[in-house]
Amino acid sequence: MQTQPVVKPRPAWYVTWQRFARNKPALLGLCVITLLVLTALFAPMLAPYDYAKTNLNNVEKPPSAEHWLGTDQIGRDMLSRLIYGARSVVFVIFIVSTISLTLGLTLGAIAGYFGGWSDTLISRVIDFLFAFPDLLFIFFIAATLKPAIVNSLKSFGQTNNIQGLVDFVRSGYADYLVVMVALSILGWAGLARLVRGQILSLREKDFVLSAQAVGVPTYKIIFRYLIPNSLAPILVAISMGLGGIALAEGILAYLGIGLQPPNPSWGIILSDNVGRYWREWPEMLWLIFLPFVIMASVVFAFNFVGDGLNEALNPELQ
Amino acid sequence: MGNVLLDVRNLRTEFVTQDGVVHAVNGVTFALEEGETLGLVGESGSGKSVSMLTVMRLIPMPPGRIPSGEVIFQGQDLLKLSPEEMRQIRGNKIAMVFQDPMTSLNPVLTISTQITESLELHLGMSKDKARKRAVELLKMVNIPEAERRLDDYPHQFSGGMRQRVMIAMGLSCSPQLLIADEPTTALDVTIQAQITDIVKRLKSELGMAIIWITHDLGVIAGLADRINVMYSGYIVETAHTKEMFANPLHPYTVGLLGSIPRLDEGKKEKLTPIEGLPPDLVNMPTGCPFHDRCSFRTQKCLEENPPLMSVGVKHWSACWNYEAVREKRDEILHREILQPVTA
Repeated sequence: MQTQPVVKPRPAWYVTWQRFARNKPALLGLCVITLLVLTALFAPMLAPYDYAKTNLNNVEKPPSAEHWLGTDQIGRDMLSRLIYGARSVVFVIFIVSTISLTLGLTLGAIAGYFGGWSDTLISRVIDFLFAFPDLLFIFFIAATLKPAIVNSLKSFGQTNNIQGLVDFVRSGYADYLVVMVALSILGWAGLARLVRGQILSLREKDFVLSAQAVGVPTYKIIFRYLIPNSLAPILVAISMGLGGIALAEGILAYLGIGLQPPNPSWGIILSDNVGRYWREWPEMLWLIFLPFVIMASVVFAFNFVGDGLNEALNPELQ
Repeated sequence: MGNVLLDVRNLRTEFVTQDGVVHAVNGVTFALEEGETLGLVGESGSGKSVSMLTVMRLIPMPPGRIPSGEVIFQGQDLLKLSPEEMRQIRGNKIAMVFQDPMTSLNPVLTISTQITESLELHLGMSKDKARKRAVELLKMVNIPEAERRLDDYPHQFSGGMRQRVMIAMGLSCSPQLLIADEPTTALDVTIQAQITDIVKRLKSELGMAIIWITHDLGVIAGLADRINVMYSGYIVETAHTKEMFANPLHPYTVGLLGSIPRLDEGKKEKLTPIEGLPPDLVNMPTGCPFHDRCSFRTQKCLEENPPLMSVGVKHWSACWNYEAVREKRDEILHREILQPVTA
């Protein structure tokens, strides 16, 4: 019989990775994202100072050996603030994308596969969310839901003597909740619409009929036949969406309806510094341009990775 | 042989669309014996595939609906089973192979996963056992180096190989009935011959019944014991294969036979197409559905739809004027050689 070694076909993920790696901007984007996540994870170890500690004897100092990226108008270390800002943005991205991915995949798949009234209901909700201006919607949540959530959390903590919860609200972490709820509610709709369309077209494919003809149960058809086959465009959309979430977190903080000072957010750093120093910006580059450049490169990184994934996963572009 | 395996009675399938109700299958009745091969012949839209998808309960409902009919398989009416009971039958007792092998396999799962799926589902086999069986199945349909190919993805297989994989999947649980929906249409002629040979061999080895849907009379001639000719949702003629080719008694069957090329015919003879188009399945004409295209048409054809009438030994035709067809058909078919089979 045959004894010669057999050439094993390369696994699909390896081929995809090779195609992805050929795209240099995408690779660069991946590096930036990895750096961002590592910074966020190890922020307490990396930051040289407490991000909230003020030092009024040492304000508006340009970069130096002690403060690598200088200090702001009340003497806080810019490097530490930017590092902790990465933590906020990664935290928000992680939670928001998890929630909107779960909602989007499930609801989109239900609407696409089962059709009928479930499709009508889900599609109308998506239409409503699309028709409503995003920022207005978030203002609405910040104005109505935020105080309700914060107060109920606080009173629940006080009546039940849960000091941790009271501290949680006082420390401003409840602000994260508002940002995340608002972005998740808005974020799932686009994904669900994409998934629904994918499932609708895949549902008619012969291999789904073949699977039904073999007696494969419905849940297996959805999770092993429909969703894996629609994964490529979904991955691309998610990757592009993450940049959007990062930007939205910054914008909300900048406008003052997201995270609140003294919590660190690149948006807050920007609004603090731009408002104060925009006239003398050439002398205050580290305060105005650094947070801006960092934010922009994160958004670019996600978009580059999205483009790279699109090229690597879309068979028509090869 | 001799026992009735599948008994379809007065089966109707309709689709509710924006343009109205499409009458896809209009009261189809036939029986299939164990181990028999039945050819289902007709042009696109004649209800061949839809009637078989109805038997499998794979019609999407809505928009589809089954206003009447019984599908008795081994003594139970498939149309009355719960979806779960029906799922137990699909792939296990009745299997179906589809037309286009290029799209009938899930691109993201390996061949092995897709073949072992029904083995694990229906026969409760362990992963190892199912894998061994999958290798046997692939060998049975002549896939070379089956062990090695098992972990390949569908895109690493050619069209003919994929169709053989589909057949292997269909046969995995040794079904009593295999429904093949134009399994050779998307393949080129040499591969067609391979596939039909494999199916013929497996049929004699496994003794299952086959319903072979096709519009290719050449393929069906060498394969089927009996042929049902369908037109706009009706069975218009049914007979044993030899009888059907020698003694067609429905103008539509005559038309179909006239439109296939023949080796024993002079080069200059033109093929005879069937003029016109099949009727609109939303607004079905009164009378015989074929009357618009029929050269044997009489007044009665416009008024009354003919039922299947016994016109010979195990031979039924739904034509009021089958005697006229018997006399004139050889002219249409340009033939003098063939004589009716006398049984």
